[in-house]
Amino acid sequence: MAGAPVLEVRGLSKRFADRAGREPASWVIKDLSFAVDEGEFLTIIGPSGSGKTTLLNVLAQIETASAGELFFQSRTTPVDDAKSLKPGLSCRIGYVTQEDNLLPWRTTLQNVLFPLLVQRRLDSETRARAQSLIRAVGLSGFENHYPHELSGGMRKRASLIRTLVYDPPVILMDEPFGALDAQTRAQLQEDLLRLWSLGRKTIVFVTHDIAEAIALGDRTLVLSRSPATLAGEHTNPIPRPRDIRGIMTHPQFAALYQRIRGEVQ
Amino acid sequence: MATPLHSSSPSVARQAPVAAWRRARSDQVLVMVLLLAIWQGLSLAFGTYWIGSPWGVTTRLVSGVANGDIPRHASYTLLEATAGFLIGALPAVALPFALRRLPILTAILDPFMMGGYGAPKLALAPLFILWFGIGIESKIALVAITVFFIVYFSAQAGVRALDARLVQMAQVMGANERDVARHIILPGAVAYIFTGFRIAMPYSIGGAVIAELISANRGLGYLIQLGAMNFDTTAVFVALTATTGIVFLGNWTLDVLERRLLRWRPRTNLDIEAGS
Repeated sequence: MAGAPVLEVRGLSKRFADRAGREPASWVIKDLSFAVDEGEFLTIIGPSGSGKTTLLNVLAQIETASAGELFFQSRTTPVDDAKSLKPGLSCRIGYVTQEDNLLPWRTTLQNVLFPLLVQRRLDSETRARAQSLIRAVGLSGFENHYPHELSGGMRKRASLIRTLVYDPPVILMDEPFGALDAQTRAQLQEDLLRLWSLGRKTIVFVTHDIAEAIALGDRTLVLSRSPATLAGEHTNPIPRPRDIRGIMTHPQFAALYQRIRGEVQ
Repeated sequence: MATPLHSSSPSVARQAPVAAWRRARSDQVLVMVLLLAIWQGLSLAFGTYWIGSPWGVTTRLVSGVANGDIPRHASYTLLEATAGFLIGALPAVALPFALRRLPILTAILDPFMMGGYGAPKLALAPLFILWFGIGIESKIALVAITVFFIVYFSAQAGVRALDARLVQMAQVMGANERDVARHIILPGAVAYIFTGFRIAMPYSIGGAVIAELISANRGLGYLIQLGAMNFDTTAVFVALTATTGIVFLGNWTLDVLERRLLRWRPRTNLDIEAGS
């Protein structure tokens, strides 16, 4: 889909405020620029501690940047001042974090309905949407369970559909399947691709797993070790729909994997 | 597909705690019999003039309940304690929420709050009786001020224990300040607030009784005072037993409320063994 990118950063840099008596903090992100197209599934890969989470926090506007510009639908939005940050950019950028961050005092259903509740959009239509998402990820029967009564995989599903339910045009995902076993992870990746193919949201998906980045993405950005700069960019030639579990046997997988691995330090 | 943790072994998980619960109950009866035996022994050793016997206390308690004396005095004490508890606890819960966004004001108030917390409130009873008279007002005031400082610090701890990531998530989803306070901070602080309630509850009843001891013509504290003046230790023990009964009643009420409000929490073995 051509046209202006939906989300773009230019010259993004970030370092945390230095504390008294310490050396000035080093850069976490340095002069990073990239753009995300409407409906694109962008995966970002980088070694642990390369500032991936910080990058998403800046994109989600829950953290400031030290320098650089952030454009959403070609409009610039301030990123350098904590007071003017707009977390989630008025519900237009959804964020699925590494931890599920479900509210422990709300049931699965109440957690999924939470964004609709605070956005004052709870009605029969949005409730039905929540129910259908719960069914789509296999959480039927667990609507009235509290988070501690769910398995890790189920909590991830709940946290994923909690963002999908209010339909933000852009969704950021921070290694959402990182802590899961291989089987559950493949299942969730399939769920995610299926849901994405239905709605074609713009997704920025951060991971440290090269195979996952290839399996999911239309395009993969490689970040260098801290400070994060752009080390490489790869358009993914593997056509959709993809077979997640068999992705490694795809003829173009190996070459792409090798190229990316060469850049991930 | 993963299964929820709870459905894995419901029958096994249920049977063991029941046995443990029974065991705990039977042991509690044993301890009670032992304590009563000690009491009886002391009563025999020193004479009922100094220590009323358990049996004498029981019969007096039963007749006191039957003729309406004990319920009348106990309900008066309970009224003072409940009113004082509510008047003290509600602002103590609300204040840390109001001060959440005002760190400087909180820091200014902190030493004064700490002073209020540390000061022996029971020593204020004579002062309150001077100010508010010997009626119910002075008792309520004493209970309220005692409860306030205890609950304030536990509610403040609850507000401070907040998980910032949950707040950020809610904000990303469009929650405003009020949503955050209502749906994130308050539910997260409930456990802390109840810890404060639990500590404050016996103090509220104790505070009411002590204020009555100093000057009153009704209430369990008055009964204690009356018994002591008449050299009637049995009457003192009867009033003390009734006071303990009220504390148990208060604790039970808090248990029920807490279990309702915190039903989202994973149960620990301790909870189950306690029969909750």
